[in-house]
Amino acid sequence: MDVIIGIADMKVSHDPDVTLVTYSLGSCIGVAVYDTVARVGGILHYMLPESDVNPVRAKTNPYMFADTGIPMLFKSCYKLGAVKRQMIVKVAGGSQVMDESRVFNIGKRNYAALRKIFWRNNILIDAEDVGGTVNRTMRLNIATGETVLKVSGQGFKTL
Amino acid sequence: MTKIAPILKSIEKLPPFPRLATMALTAMEDSESSLDQVVAIIEYDQAITANVLRICNSAYYGLNRKVHSLRQAMVLLGNAQIKEIILAGTVVRFFRSYNKGYALASGELWKHAVGTAVIARIICRHVRKAEPPSLFTAALLHDVGKVVLNSFVDGYFDKIITLVNEKDYSFLEAEAEILGINHAELGARIAESWSFPEDIVCAIRLHHNPEKDNSGSQILPIVYLANIITLSMGIGVGRDGLSYRGQEKIMKDFGFKARDLQEIIITFYDEFNEIRDILQL
Repeated sequence: MDVIIGIADMKVSHDPDVTLVTYSLGSCIGVAVYDTVARVGGILHYMLPESDVNPVRAKTNPYMFADTGIPMLFKSCYKLGAVKRQMIVKVAGGSQVMDESRVFNIGKRNYAALRKIFWRNNILIDAEDVGGTVNRTMRLNIATGETVLKVSGQGFKTL
Repeated sequence: MTKIAPILKSIEKLPPFPRLATMALTAMEDSESSLDQVVAIIEYDQAITANVLRICNSAYYGLNRKVHSLRQAMVLLGNAQIKEIILAGTVVRFFRSYNKGYALASGELWKHAVGTAVIARIICRHVRKAEPPSLFTAALLHDVGKVVLNSFVDGYFDKIITLVNEKDYSFLEAEAEILGINHAELGARIAESWSFPEDIVCAIRLHHNPEKDNSGSQILPIVYLANIITLSMGIGVGRDGLSYRGQEKIMKDFGFKARDLQEIIITFYDEFNEIRDILQL
C-alpha cells in the first residue's frame, strides 16, 4: 500500500505492507531513513533550508524546513523502535533551474542545510541523488528498506 | 525544418477555444450586461457550470457561504473574479488531456497552470503592486503550447534530452532545434488563433525569454518568475524537468533576494490547500 508524503510533510511506518512515496522533488529534498533491524522507516519532504525565514510557520509545520524537519524524522522513527546506529540514510532532490548566477539556488541551499545538520549529528549519507535540473519521485519499501527513485528524463533507479 | 508544418497544422485541429471563455474574456472589457449574457449562456452547459461553482466554493475564494448559482456567485465575487473563474472552468479540459510527450499524468499540466497563476498573484502582493487584469489568464495559459506539442515531443524525446544533457541546451532551446518550434512560440500561435489580447500572446511567447520583450510588458516578468518558482517546486513538472534558464536580471528588476523567493514559496504552500478543489476539476 502506497502512503503518500506531500510537500512539507513527513511520515514514518513499521508496517511491512507500506511503501512510502513522495512526488515532486524539485528544489525540495526527500530524506529517507530506515532501520535495517527494526524495519522502521520514514520519509521527510522539506521545502526550505532554515526555519528562521518564518519561525511561526516552523512551529505549525516543522516539516517545511530542514533544520526543524530532520530532527522530527529521526525522533519519530525512534518512537517506533528505530536505533540511530542501525539506520541507513538516503537523500534525493535539491535540483534547480539552469542558473549560472545562482540566484535560484534553493536546491543547493536545501542540500547545504542538510549536510550541516548531519555533520553536527554524526550522520552519514549512505546514498544520494541530488542536484541537476531533474524532478524526482522517491519510494521507500518498509518491508525491505529498498529506496527507488524515478528521475525525469532518466527513468527508475535504485538508490 | 519540415517537422514544423505538421505541428502548425495540428493547431487547426485543436478544438476552438471554448466560446464561452472567449466571451467571458471580451466581456471583461465590456459593460456588465454582456457578462450577464455570458452567464445566461453558461447556465445551459452543465459541466462548465459545475466547474465554475466548484471553483467559487473552493477555499481559495474564501466565501463564507455556499454558492448554488452563477448569478449568486457574480453578486458575491464581483466581475473580475467571476471572469477568471469562468476562464479556469472552461480551459481545464485542454490541460487535462493526457500529456504523453512530457510524461505528465493527466492533471499535472493543469496543476502547473493553476500553481503558476496563484504564484503570479502572490508575487504581485509581495511587491505591493496592483494585479494587472490579464495576469491570471496569461499565467494560467502560459504552457498551452505543450498541449499540442506533446505528441510531437514524444517521438523526438531522446534527441531533445540528449541536447539538454550533453550540450547544455535548455529544454526550450532543444525543442526549437529538434522540432523547429518550441512550446512557448507554439502556445503564442495558438493564443493568436484564438484571438487573444496582444499582451497575453506576448507573455505566452516569451515566458522563458523575458529579456526579448520590447513592449514593456507588465505581466511577462511576473509570469516568467511565477513559472520558474512553480518548476522549482516540482509542481506539474514532466520529463523536461527543471531544464529551463533562470534569469538573474528579472530577480534584480524585482529587487528580490533568495529570502523573497522563500517567502513566496511559504505563502504558496499555505494557499495550495485552498486550491485543491480547483486542481481536482
